Amino acid sequence: MRAVTATMRAAASEARANPGAFWSQLAAMALNDIVWVIFWALFFNRVGTLRGWDQSRVLLLFACLTTAGGIVLGVLSNARRVGELAMNGGIDAALALPVPPLPYLLVRRIDAVNLGDLVFGFGLFALSGSPSVERTLIYVCGSLAGAAVLAGFLITVGSLTFFLRRSEAGELGFHAIILLASYPVDIFAGVTKVMLYTAVPAAFVAAVPANLIEDFNLRDALVLGGVAAGFAAMAWSVFSLGLRRYTSTALWTRA
Amino acid sequence: MNARWPWVSVSSAARRVARDRGQLLFAAGFYVVVASVLAALWRAATEVNGGTVAGYSGLQLTWYVVAAEAVTIALNTRLIEVIGDDIASGAVAAELLRPAPVLGVRVCTELGRCLPRLGVCVAIGAVLATTTAGAPPDATALALAAPAVVLAVFCNLIAQHAFAGIAFWLRDARSMWFLYHKLVFVLGGMLLPLQVMPSWLHTVAAWLPFAAMAYVPARLASGHVEPQLLLVQLWWLGVMWWAARAVFNAGERRLQVVGG
Repeated sequence: MRAVTATMRAAASEARANPGAFWSQLAAMALNDIVWVIFWALFFNRVGTLRGWDQSRVLLLFACLTTAGGIVLGVLSNARRVGELAMNGGIDAALALPVPPLPYLLVRRIDAVNLGDLVFGFGLFALSGSPSVERTLIYVCGSLAGAAVLAGFLITVGSLTFFLRRSEAGELGFHAIILLASYPVDIFAGVTKVMLYTAVPAAFVAAVPANLIEDFNLRDALVLGGVAAGFAAMAWSVFSLGLRRYTSTALWTRA
Repeated sequence: MNARWPWVSVSSAARRVARDRGQLLFAAGFYVVVASVLAALWRAATEVNGGTVAGYSGLQLTWYVVAAEAVTIALNTRLIEVIGDDIASGAVAAELLRPAPVLGVRVCTELGRCLPRLGVCVAIGAVLATTTAGAPPDATALALAAPAVVLAVFCNLIAQHAFAGIAFWLRDARSMWFLYHKLVFVLGGMLLPLQVMPSWLHTVAAWLPFAAMAYVPARLASGHVEPQLLLVQLWWLGVMWWAARAVFNAGERRLQVVGG
């Protein structure tokens, strides 16, 4: 645990090494997120409400998504690069260390751009989420659970590269879950909606936490916690199994 | 100088991409997800709004979305960043040694890379829209949308080169692509038709070049017979080409003075 904490501290120092670039990247992502808020404002200005979703509820969804996304893609930025690392020999460096490879890889790199999401998520919740002690607690726990689901899914699809020898599945999985998570889940129906709660668990990343903040119930909270634990366990298992098939490229790269 | 370089650049790049099944599959998969989600959103919006939103029916919005997404996803999202990196690393300075203009070769090569992806996305989009919403709203408008799709991609590529040219001076265009794409997403009408916007924003968006890159082919594909929109695209194509040439000429002169 100490080694993982020390690695994370080193990654944070590395990200802050160029303060100008750090803050400009953070601001660029925040600006990017603001454009999405403008889109939803224009959309709901014209449409009103959509199957129970209105502007304030979608902004809550967006706050949960950017917070969970900021944690996974900013703090654990290698979660989305597992496939790329497996293809390019990027895991070699981790295997030589006396620490479990997956936790080390996850905290090895912090991405300043996506930390902008995290900051934006907090800000959006503070401004539009009507924060009370209870709602803030649900928001924090819900976003952490959403982050666990997102990280678990990304590591799982990235680890498929060990078996398939191609990283496109991981990249497509990343884009699919982020995109699907950023829309109200009730616009979908039938098989697509079932898929959002199972194969591509986008609903658990943002929509379920946002619904819990608005209307808390214990059953949904327990389901979210169970799904988060399930995806974390699946990610660990698939990565560990895949690692047995990993072959070095003899290129000493930086994870 | 061999006058065949534009054709050679386009065709060789297109052949390379067409052979890379993984890249085409990725583009197709990504396109299906994005177009399905946005089309579902807009169809749901029309259902709760009495069948139309800003004058568009669910069928029209589905065709709007598949066209707008096809012309955007066919492009390399991070092209501005790549061009900026090539300028900063000196790769562009090496390209000056070729007996062909740097900007022309780059635009033609990128157009060649886009065309196979565009073909795949357009084909999938047509199937997706027909199966989920229905046949194209108007055959004449769809025929006009065909050249508009290619013009939109061409216009977007040239504009990205003009934007990325800032790297000749700043040595970095990484944050530019973020901003540029968001302008195309909203003011270009990729995410929503310009008619959905408040009238003042609609007017602003209509005067900017971004509408030529997504809104025009999407508007035509949604069944609106407005051939004058092709003239708007040709106008912006000319303006963007002039701007990109001016930026690259000034930038290349700077490279020759300062070194790559």
